Amino acid sequence: MQTDLTHGAPVASARNVSKRYGATQALAAVSLDVFPGEVLGIVGHNGAGKSTLMRVLSGMERIDDGTLSICGRSDPDRHGYPGVRMSFQEGSLAAELCVFENVFLSSRQDIDAKRWRTMASRMVETRLTEIFPDHGIDPSDYVDDLTLSERQMVEIARASLSEDLALLILDEPTESLGGKDVETFYDYVRALCRSGKAIILVSHRLTEVLAVSDRIGVMKEGRIVSMHKARNESETSLLRAMGGEVLQETKRAGNAAATKEMRPIVLEVPMQTVEGAPTRITARKGEIVGLAGIAGQGQEQVLDRLWRRNRDVRIEGGLAYVPGDRQKSGILPIWSVARNLSISAMAGLSRFGVRQMAAETALVTDWVARLSVRGGAEAPITSLSGGNQQKVIVARAFCSDAETILLDDPFRGVDIHTKAELYQMIKAEAEAGRSIIWYSSENAEMQHCDRAYVLRRGLVAGELAGAEISDEHIIGLSFAEARESTT
Amino acid sequence: MTSQTTRTNLFGITFPKGRVRRLLPALLTLVALVLILLICGTLQPRIWSQIGFTLIFSPIVALAIASMAQMVMMSIGDIDLGVGFFVGMVTTIAATLLRDTPVFGALALIGSVLAYAALGAIVQLRGVPSLIATLGASFIWLGIGMVILPVPGGTAPGWLSAYVFWTPPFGIPVPLVTMAVATAITWWMMQRSGLGVRFRTLGSNPAALARAGGSLVVTRMLAYGVVGCLGVAAGLALTGEIGGGDVNAVPGYTLTTVAAVILGGGMFTGGRAVAWGTLAGAVTLGLLTVLLTLLNLSSNLQPAVQGGIVIAVLAGRLLVERVAR
Amino acid sequence: MNLRALNGMPPWAWSFLAAVLVLILTYGISGQGDGQTITLALTVAPYLVLVGLGQMLVMTAGPGNIDVSVAKVFSLGGLLSIAVAESTGSWLLGLGAACGVGLCMASISVIAILLVRIPPIVATLATSLIASAISLTLAQGFQGSAHPDLRAFLNWSPLGVPAFAVVVAAFTLAVSWILARTVWGAQLLAFGQARRAAQFAGIRATRILVVVYLVSGILAALAGALRASFSAPNVELGNDYLLDSIAVVVIGGTLMSGGRAVPLGVWGGALFFILLDGLLNLIGWSYAGQNILKGFLVLTVLFLANGAPLIAPSAASATRKQPLSPETEPDEAPHE
Repeated sequence: MQTDLTHGAPVASARNVSKRYGATQALAAVSLDVFPGEVLGIVGHNGAGKSTLMRVLSGMERIDDGTLSICGRSDPDRHGYPGVRMSFQEGSLAAELCVFENVFLSSRQDIDAKRWRTMASRMVETRLTEIFPDHGIDPSDYVDDLTLSERQMVEIARASLSEDLALLILDEPTESLGGKDVETFYDYVRALCRSGKAIILVSHRLTEVLAVSDRIGVMKEGRIVSMHKARNESETSLLRAMGGEVLQETKRAGNAAATKEMRPIVLEVPMQTVEGAPTRITARKGEIVGLAGIAGQGQEQVLDRLWRRNRDVRIEGGLAYVPGDRQKSGILPIWSVARNLSISAMAGLSRFGVRQMAAETALVTDWVARLSVRGGAEAPITSLSGGNQQKVIVARAFCSDAETILLDDPFRGVDIHTKAELYQMIKAEAEAGRSIIWYSSENAEMQHCDRAYVLRRGLVAGELAGAEISDEHIIGLSFAEARESTT
Repeated sequence: MTSQTTRTNLFGITFPKGRVRRLLPALLTLVALVLILLICGTLQPRIWSQIGFTLIFSPIVALAIASMAQMVMMSIGDIDLGVGFFVGMVTTIAATLLRDTPVFGALALIGSVLAYAALGAIVQLRGVPSLIATLGASFIWLGIGMVILPVPGGTAPGWLSAYVFWTPPFGIPVPLVTMAVATAITWWMMQRSGLGVRFRTLGSNPAALARAGGSLVVTRMLAYGVVGCLGVAAGLALTGEIGGGDVNAVPGYTLTTVAAVILGGGMFTGGRAVAWGTLAGAVTLGLLTVLLTLLNLSSNLQPAVQGGIVIAVLAGRLLVERVAR
Repeated sequence: MNLRALNGMPPWAWSFLAAVLVLILTYGISGQGDGQTITLALTVAPYLVLVGLGQMLVMTAGPGNIDVSVAKVFSLGGLLSIAVAESTGSWLLGLGAACGVGLCMASISVIAILLVRIPPIVATLATSLIASAISLTLAQGFQGSAHPDLRAFLNWSPLGVPAFAVVVAAFTLAVSWILARTVWGAQLLAFGQARRAAQFAGIRATRILVVVYLVSGILAALAGALRASFSAPNVELGNDYLLDSIAVVVIGGTLMSGGRAVPLGVWGGALFFILLDGLLNLIGWSYAGQNILKGFLVLTVLFLANGAPLIAPSAASATRKQPLSPETEPDEAPHE
């Protein structure tokens, strides 16, 4: 795995590092070396463990197992590892503060307390100009009033501002940057690398990763499955290493279940394709429609437009929503399984606003048995495992009288056995005439759909139907940038 | 989310992005302040003198400093519902203990500041809503104040009265000096010191503070400690003004200080610290009382006018933001 | 002592236990064990219970929901009802007027909260100021006294049980029934424990918030009207009721963070507070000492009852606003 570029002792090295969140094995015995003077690209699909690995390397996350040696230390302090800085995708700037104040916050060690305002301003100004010559950001601008791409620039500049910088971790740095800025940014990355710093670049933009990296690690299911020399790879070969396959042409849903074709369309969301042409996301009665692609590429916005019944969407009948973040927006933590389950259906069962306890109990008993919820109806919801909680929340939506069910990636971190049960239930409900819009970050799940739309940057990158819906095709459509980069 | 404001160019000066949006409420308040002052001056020309100014601004000093305390509280995203009784309690300490046994008095005041810091720890560690915690604490402030002075009384310490009756040179009124100094110190702390950056980060995005290695508990305790200090300062100013102690002197400060911060451009969601704006807000509200009195409006109606103004200001701001988007 | 058995106690039981404890202490110190003390407590408690029930509903609607206008609305209700009852001669019209003014005041709060999107604390404070101004204006030269019929009813205690307390107890049971057996009650509880989850489950925020604030306003004004009829109307009649109403609700076992309402506990909390006042008076504590003790009681209950377990491994970073766990992190960014 050693290449001619990598010489000397590694800046960071991980041996058999494992990390587990509840039922999810986020990292499974990962071993990795990062050498000074190299750009290491990390690619992989949703949930491959990229973010967790980066958090571990920057010292924000403790590991369960394995050893780490980062800049000569094996344990982080309150500020993480000295010499390691990470640029986050979002959420780590204080929006109400000025740019230079944010810089001061994260680089206090390098700034003289007496003249911090001028020093921080000058530092960030210089660095911004170095990386993004046309940035147009004033250090006194408030972060709140910057555009997404300007915030990203600040975040990058801020992370690279450290006197003892040895390893810079960039998490999807170009996600919201424009064309020219991307170029100058990568120029800067190369310059940093020439000066002996180590850089880890996490990105789903394969062309960029190929162009700038020396080595590329492919992650899958919490492991680094292969390590490649960037110069030997092409986009296609890298895609293949990730398990993807480029679809020759985007076929329309020709051979999809012919019987469902005849049913009426119950829902329409106007969209645009990546080529810029207008299109629609539609669902017929009794159809399971998937929204696939890399997480955060506009799938949730589609669900949101539907749930809020935006003026431009057309929906027939009632809606129910199954949220993805069950801890924050799913469970009602004080209540039992039964009450969690029946809350949505309650109004439909009631008479003059008075609950009909017998009907509710019957409904709950039926669903608890159907989904074999561990612990029974009277168990507190918080005593259940994540998978069982998710069953209850899915059941809550399905036992309401809604005709369309929106699923917002609800099966993350749910064990395989439970998933299989839930898939069966979804299929059964669709058979019974309900329409289902299902966003999932797991490609394997999409195979249960009749049709699936792959989204990229909030646009429809392609539509797959029936047997076409496969991991390979979804990865192909999610990552392929060749077509649009010509425009 | 991305409100793409552009940089504003005003009178040839280019302001950073977002600065004008943050200054505008305070500027509008300042205009209102000047207007009210002019109307007052027209109704009662005798205010245009050192004595006149001292007379109308004296009652506002404590309010202005208490508003600074509330502003620090709101900058970390909390609200203090006990500030009125806290200031009242400080007056009772100042008018008795601090005058008779200065050492014990000072210790008592330091103790009350530490109590505030402890309150901050409870709020952070136990995830208790600040408004209920400060409301609970206000029982204690009220009780302690009543133990010290069951009925209004006591006398302000000599040095405090001496300061209040001091006639500075050049015809500068004392209240203006006190308010300006208090505001300048608060402004410096919030805008020019690292502590202020941490406070505002805690209010704006606690995750950012934690990622930068700051302790949320320590920061919140420090902020509450600062609020306590400013509360003590407000109490001392009030003691000088009323010449004695009364725990029930200013229960109305609770809303008035929030209103002052809002008028000055502060926000409930935290992160914004507007010391000079808050001063303008406090003075405007104080002068409003003067104006309503000069207009012979029943003092009974004054709270309603204040409440109405707060709602109107917030409604107006919402409208402006809607239109601006 | 088995701690698990203690955990199994219903949430309202603690406040009653505390009340009984105070009662026993009172008997022990005064040396007499007659029913007088209980009758007196039951005569005074219902007013606080009414205000407390409204406050309980508001607090149950979730974090940030609080009605700080109850004190001034209480006083206003008292003054207005006496004035109306005196001029019309009908105490029923007086009570009706109080309910009406409570509704109006609460409407101001509701409009400010839902339309102007002012945080409840400030909206209700502003309402409180407006109510206070109206009260002060009404009170000028005010000389009214309660309708004798109403006053007689409020003082009527057959067999040592105040009739009014029985009425309020029945009302408390009705509130319990609404919370347990109606769709709206269930939706309020769901909304209070997890706002976002409740909205995804199809519950509309306005339906919950409008009702709780209006009910709180009406109950505060009605309680004020009755209290004024019991003694005498006064601008400062309601002043103690703000802090007390919050305290009795919290002590009664209602979750401050929302989602669990304990109407019975409000009774327990109110009786505890009133008996405690009596006890402290008995042993010569001043009003001041009572306040200090109440403050510490509220803070202690807050410290023990709320939020994370007492010894949390990462309490420093995990309890407030934004936890730093990896699963939740991506959702922290505001998305609109």
